[in-house]
Amino acid sequence: MVPFFKRKKQSNKGKRQERDSSGSSKNSAEEKDFIGSSLAANVDKIRQKTGYSSDLVIRLINIGPQSEIKIAVLYVKGMVDSQSINDFLIEQIMKNKALQEKIMPNEALDIITEEAVALGGVKSVQDWEELFTVLMAGNTILLIDGINKALSASTQGGARRSVQESTTNVSVRGSKEAFTESIETNTAMVRRIINNPNLWTESMKIGKMTKTEVSIMYINGIAKNEIVEEVRKRLKRINIDGILESGYIEQLIEDQTLTTFPTVHHTERPDCVAGNLLEGRIAILVNGTPFVLLVPALFIDFFQSVEDYYERFDISTALRFLRTVTFLISLIAPAVYIAATTFHQEMIPTQLAIIIAAQRESVPFPAFVEALIMEVTFEILREAGIRMPKAIGSTVSIVGALVIGQAAVQAGIVSPAMVIIVSMTAIASFATPSYAVAISARLVRFVFMISAATFGFYGIILAFIMLTVHLCSLRSFGVPYMSPLAPFIPGEAGDTILRKPIWAYSKRPHLISGENKVSEGKHQKPGPPGPRNMTNHYTEKGE
Amino acid sequence: MNKLNRKAMFLFFIMISTVFISGCWSQKELNELAIISAMAIDKNEDGKYVKTIQFVNPGNVAGGLQGGGGGQGPAVTVYTATGDTILEAHINASAKVSRRLYHAHANLLVISEEVAREEGIDGIIDAFERDPEVRTESKIVIARDAKAGDIVKSLTSIDKVPSEKVNKTLLVTERARGENIVVSIQDFISVSASLGREPVISGFRIKGEPEKGKKMENVQQSELDATLEASGLAVFKEEKLIDWYEGDLAKGTMWILDKIQQTDVKVSWKGKKNAVVYNVIRQKTNVSADTKNTYPEMTIHVRAEGDIRELTTPVDITDPAVISDLEKEIEKEIKKQLEKAVTRTQKNNSDIFGFGEVVHRTDPEKWKKMKRDWDDEYFPYVNVNVKVDAFIRRTGLRTNSFHSNTEK
Repeated sequence: MVPFFKRKKQSNKGKRQERDSSGSSKNSAEEKDFIGSSLAANVDKIRQKTGYSSDLVIRLINIGPQSEIKIAVLYVKGMVDSQSINDFLIEQIMKNKALQEKIMPNEALDIITEEAVALGGVKSVQDWEELFTVLMAGNTILLIDGINKALSASTQGGARRSVQESTTNVSVRGSKEAFTESIETNTAMVRRIINNPNLWTESMKIGKMTKTEVSIMYINGIAKNEIVEEVRKRLKRINIDGILESGYIEQLIEDQTLTTFPTVHHTERPDCVAGNLLEGRIAILVNGTPFVLLVPALFIDFFQSVEDYYERFDISTALRFLRTVTFLISLIAPAVYIAATTFHQEMIPTQLAIIIAAQRESVPFPAFVEALIMEVTFEILREAGIRMPKAIGSTVSIVGALVIGQAAVQAGIVSPAMVIIVSMTAIASFATPSYAVAISARLVRFVFMISAATFGFYGIILAFIMLTVHLCSLRSFGVPYMSPLAPFIPGEAGDTILRKPIWAYSKRPHLISGENKVSEGKHQKPGPPGPRNMTNHYTEKGE
Repeated sequence: MNKLNRKAMFLFFIMISTVFISGCWSQKELNELAIISAMAIDKNEDGKYVKTIQFVNPGNVAGGLQGGGGGQGPAVTVYTATGDTILEAHINASAKVSRRLYHAHANLLVISEEVAREEGIDGIIDAFERDPEVRTESKIVIARDAKAGDIVKSLTSIDKVPSEKVNKTLLVTERARGENIVVSIQDFISVSASLGREPVISGFRIKGEPEKGKKMENVQQSELDATLEASGLAVFKEEKLIDWYEGDLAKGTMWILDKIQQTDVKVSWKGKKNAVVYNVIRQKTNVSADTKNTYPEMTIHVRAEGDIRELTTPVDITDPAVISDLEKEIEKEIKKQLEKAVTRTQKNNSDIFGFGEVVHRTDPEKWKKMKRDWDDEYFPYVNVNVKVDAFIRRTGLRTNSFHSNTEK
């Protein structure tokens, strides 16, 4: 058996090497293809390359006294702000006095670049690949006959969703705005919160076809350099057709893929991103999605909401406890019910045991099958409810409530106690702030149910130990997933299930943040003014 | 393409097979269990044990449920089986019950007076202690003037399950009256195993006609034909029942055992009997031993606190002198109860008060010599001093009674 496995490993290694070498050879094969100087040829090539797409607008302008200089303005309809193209580009070129004189095409280029175009972000482009990338991103390209360069002006615009209230990370208190699909807006929203030059962003294009803009954002000095480097490396490694959502990136940069637990956090809220950046985390913004990724993500992060820090610490601590309990309920409530009613009836108080027994008298299935029926029914209802058109949604909930609530009980197929357990589990799973962890709990719940049905409480404990071991083995960008609980970091345990008062946060999480660890000055605890200030004032008056 | 690590797959299959091969080992659904609520042990004419098992009918107990039809039938069903041993009787019972007999919720064991008197109950208790499913916190009572089986066969109202009713009654009366004691199987075992102490167990009797108690009509009327009531303390000597204590005797015993939580003490005042009723709300009883002489000398010190709760004649209780006189009367009355219990118990040669244990604690060396024949040789001749301190703390919502004004 052993030699067999060895052989297997070797062959795997061989394959990996092969793949690496093929990748490097491809990179070296890439050669730059430069723009030619004939305008007609260039325009032709562009039209041909874009397949004569109808949304590509090519506007030809002639300038100079005898209209001898030909200029082509190219842009993609809908992706540009046509107002600014008309007002600041075409009009300016046509009306420019210097361009009306007799000049050479070279001079024309300079004049256009330096004087005529009243737009920011003007740069020259020399190779075709860059030209297409820039053009397809919503910029306007200017080609002049006789010059082997193109000019790009940033005119991105068109209809986009405006900044709206967050729908997935709702909070009672705190900023209401949420990210949009536009990466520029998103970056700006974070910058508006952290007005500091140390907030650095790095941009790159990922996706062979989509060329999606992806930015890394971190605070220089607070973020750990090794982690920033690791993020950079993992992002650069990505070589796929398209990035349609940050979920693609998430799945391609995870440390461990064989787990149901998320090791990358995502959020829709700029204040959440800002808070995490201040702790030394790194944000990954992806164009086209309002969900921003945050790494490294720890298990405990998924039980925290931004609002925890906006409320006072006693209330937040109580709420965090509640969330931990609800997570446990959503994980093991049906399993405990199954184990208690099929293996450990002696552990149920007599009165309750009699009530449950009475309810189960007419139920034809074992508790496990009963629980499975109810859980699966509920999952079906939930799934049906999410993707239903809103008009039909209410029908689903009515039918669902009747089916699992009443009819099933009246028909004697399930017991009322089971309905209570399943609904409690469902509500508990909604109380977990992070949808990502709630989903994994949904999945793991079935494992717990099976082990409870086979081994009772013993099985639950067994599954729980396995779960704990698994969670402890996970890492997010090299940071232990269960920290600061395992490994236990005493100073930071105050921001886990507990939430210590804001004035007690003197240090940043030490596994995540870089050199700059001090987040607060000393003596931040507020208090009443000293007795001297108060009493002297009054006694002096009195005397 | 075969990237799957075979070793991991192999391990996975081994783990999965532990789940499927073991199946649902020792799995038992709640509705496949016959939940036993009480058991009773009698003996028939052939000298065989008769085990009466009371099962809960869940559907009839949990009233108001859909499909349960709560309250239609009796809350419990009773089956009887015989055997030479307890276990045999138990196994024989399975021939009559369609479900698996489940002991874990049984909380009452009734033993008939006849069995307790004639052969003792230690042999019976062993079977219950040994069974992993039986709870040793189950309470024991002795069926007085009745068959143990009849006690568990009687239907009760309010608490529909008779075993619940017996248990709760015992608990309440121990607290409020102090003439009965709650004894569980493990309490009995620990006392019975001790050389310096003998057990007492509460008695239960059927007031009314046992035959009518088995019918549903019994619980469909305001006054039941057959009621279960706590009655007296059964005194044991060498595992056998030898005496019943009641009233003052039982109370005195409970005082010495430091089990009184609340009770009433009636006192005469100026020649009128039962003039003042004192309600004990707190007490502490200490028993100490002096082992200088051959026969140890025991001192029982009672410190009781309570309220005046009833005045049948006008007494000026606003006068501190009267209060201290009353306290003295109360002390005398309590002392009388204690002494009565001591005298009777010494006559029975059965140390239910645990004096032997006190001697053991005080003088372990001397106890070694005495322990073998403590009950017969030493305990009856022990000199017992009773010291009572009683305090009147409050007089209820009134000071003097309203009828002390009308007297004048």
